[in-house]
Formats: sequence, C-alpha cells, structure tokens
Amino acid sequence: MTRADYYVVLFAALLLPYLYLTQWTGDEAGITASIMNGDKTTQVSLAHDHTLEIDGALGTSIIEIEEGKIHFAASPCLGKQCIHSGWLQHAGEFAACLPNRISIAVLGEEPRFDSINF
Amino acid sequence: MRRWRLSLLLITTLGLTACSEPPQVYRAKLFTLGTLVDVSVLHQDEATAQQAVEVVETELAVINTQWHAWRDSPLTEINRQLANGKTVMIDAATYRFIQQAQSLAANSNQLFNPAIGSLVALWGFHSDERPEGAPPTKDKIDTLLKQRPSMTNITLTESTLTSNNPAAQFDFGAFGKGYAIDQAIERLKASGIENAIVNAGGDLRAIGSKGEHPWRIGVRHPTASGVIASIETSGDESVFTSGNYERFFDFDGKRYHHIIDPRSGYPANDAISVTVIHQNAATADAAATALFIAGTKQWPQIAQQMDIDEVMLIDENLTIYMTTKMAQRIHIEIDAAQIEIIGDGA
Repeated sequence: MTRADYYVVLFAALLLPYLYLTQWTGDEAGITASIMNGDKTTQVSLAHDHTLEIDGALGTSIIEIEEGKIHFAASPCLGKQCIHSGWLQHAGEFAACLPNRISIAVLGEEPRFDSINF
Repeated sequence: MRRWRLSLLLITTLGLTACSEPPQVYRAKLFTLGTLVDVSVLHQDEATAQQAVEVVETELAVINTQWHAWRDSPLTEINRQLANGKTVMIDAATYRFIQQAQSLAANSNQLFNPAIGSLVALWGFHSDERPEGAPPTKDKIDTLLKQRPSMTNITLTESTLTSNNPAAQFDFGAFGKGYAIDQAIERLKASGIENAIVNAGGDLRAIGSKGEHPWRIGVRHPTASGVIASIETSGDESVFTSGNYERFFDFDGKRYHHIIDPRSGYPANDAISVTVIHQNAATADAAATALFIAGTKQWPQIAQQMDIDEVMLIDENLTIYMTTKMAQRIHIEIDAAQIEIIGDGA
C-alpha cells in the first residue's frame, strides 16, 4: 500500500461516519407529522401512541396517534370533516379543521406525492 | 505522484458535489379562501421563494374579500343591487371574471350555474359551517327553481352588469377558487418562479417540475383513506376534483352534499367524484362541478362542449369512467377497479 492509498482509505473511513450522521434517515417516511395551529407549527413523532389536546380558534381538538398513524378524534367544528378524513399515515397526507384553524400533515424524507388532490 | 493527483481529484470532486446544493422546495401553508392553501415553490434562494409566497398571500386575501358569497363583500353588494333590479357599475377585473364564468356556464348547458346563489344559501351552505338541521322543504326549492336563475339572465358590458331576474344571485364557489389559483400562479411567475404548486383545499395548479422529475400528484380516494390514482403533471396544468365528500351534512341517516344540481334543486347524486385536468384552473374548477352534475350519462357531451379532454368520473359503485387521454396518463392505485374508457372527451 502506497502512501496515497493510505490517505484515500483514511479519507473514506472518516467520510463514512460523517455521511451516516448527516445523510442517514433510515425508513423515516411517515413517522413524524406536523401540526399547524394558526400560524404555529410543531412536529410530533408517530412512533409512540399518545393523544394530544390542542386549543384552536374555536375550542379543543383531540388528535390521536396510534401505530404510526394520526387522526382527528374530536373537534369543536360542526361539520366534523376533519374527523371524516380518517387516519393519515403516508407522507404528504393531511387533514384540517378549518373552523378551529388546526391542520395535521404526515411528513417524510421523500413523500410519494408532492401534492394531494381531492 | 500520479496517484496523489488522482486522490486529490477524488477528494475535490466529492467536496464540490457536497457544496452544490440542488434547489429546495419551500412550502408555506396559508389559511385563506375559506380553506388551507398549500404553496410549494422550488427555488435556489429561500428568500426569493418566501417573498413570492407573501405576494401570493396578499393576492389571495384580496380575492377572498372581493368574491366572498356570504360575508359582506363587493360580491354581496352586487347581489343586493341585482336583486333590486339596479344596474351595477363594474371594473375591468370584475368584467373579465364574470365574462369567463358566463362563457363556461354557457358551454356547460348551465350545469355550472353561478347564478344559483339563493339555492345554495337555502341549503345552508352560505356559512363557514352549516348549522345543524333539516334540508330545505321541496316547496321552498321549487319556488326558487320556478324562477330559473342562470347566467343567461345577466347582461354584461365592460362597465355595467344588469339582470332581468331578481332571483339570479351570484355564488362563485365552483369557480372562484380556480380563478384565485390562476392569479396566484401569475403572481409567482411574475416573481420569477418557474416551478411551483398552488393547492387550495385539494385543488391545484402546478407549473414546471420538481427539478429533474415532474410534480407527482395523488388523487384522494373518494370513500376511503389514501389515494385512488396518481398523475405526473407536465408544464403547466391544473388538477381539480369535485366530490360529494367535501362539504356535506347528515340528516335522518341521509347525506346531503354541497354540489347542487340547478335542474332539480337537490344535490347531484350520480357521481361521487370528478377529476379534471386542464391548463386553466378556473376552467378546471367549473368543469369539475359541471361534469359532476352531468353524471355518468351526460358527462362526455358536456366535457366535449367545454373543451375538456382529460376527465375521470367515479360513481358510487367505484366504477371509474375516463376519457382516452386521461386513461393514457393516470395511474390507478387501487386493485380490482372497474374502468370504462368513454370516447375521447373533447
């Protein structure tokens, strides 16, 4: 092994952990979601089952997270269309309670779709 | 020495690759037009993208104020004056807006009928949230229907608007969102944005591409979660869907949705969703509504009249009807779908 080979191997050995830390995302598609409440956006993990109570413009929306999925379980709106949107699990899917100004969207490193038409 | 140079070249190349970041998609969500508007802009410079989105936000707020059908707005003032038989003075933008709507209504045999605002209000859909309660009585619906409000009642000049039917009241719910998206895209283009999607409550127009790949659009399943079909847009295209699941209420175990058939006065009940692709968003918006009302028998004729050649209609049995052009490009994502290809549309 020449000196040049040694440096190339060393460089590659250093590059690997760097790439792992900065680029590796694992299979993250669909395991986090963003919740928009008015102008404020927060991110939540879908990895653990839990329930969130979020106070919006109209009242409290209850958002459930279960087995990597998220949905509106309850909302103070009359139409309940946010609830009818059902469970979301794929990156890019979203549902909104417009009267309460709360929306949820599943995030992913590379969502399958850039936009959803409905 | 040669190996040293090779190693140096390799390292430099890796370094340069890491430095040349591709353009990123900047996303903004706006609560406006009575819905959630999602703007995606692909641009190298986030500040430019953000500035362009701010221009769009301002434009959409102006349109929302101008054309709101039930809050006090210039449109409700126009409706008041028309109901009183008065001549309304209008500006150039209003003239173009109503002229386009009138032309689309004529081509759709008045199935897209933005003059049935009174009927839509009677059904309770002139509110952010429909109050709970029964649907309107048949007598009330028939009384309105007998007056036959339509865009043919409207006489339009570049500066005036008159109506020979006081029952003709504008509601541009099946057109205004498309018009707003068209204006938003024009503002983005004027700001130097060439690649973007403006999605207002599920209806969208996409320009350019996402770098080397086209924009990928999922069409939501009308009766289940997930998508029923996917489309890759090309150049400058709008994708609009009218569905019975968008705005509705349940009463005594029956569902009533917001797409009212101007012939019967009741929600159209043949299709459950219609998806239209067309360059112009306002046209796609009006066409999706007209074809939904036209239903499984009449939609090919109305599509041809409206010059729409990419249509997908789904009925309650989940049978999918499509034009040949739509069938050639759409990807159906569900198994065992029954698909009927109907003619060539336009």
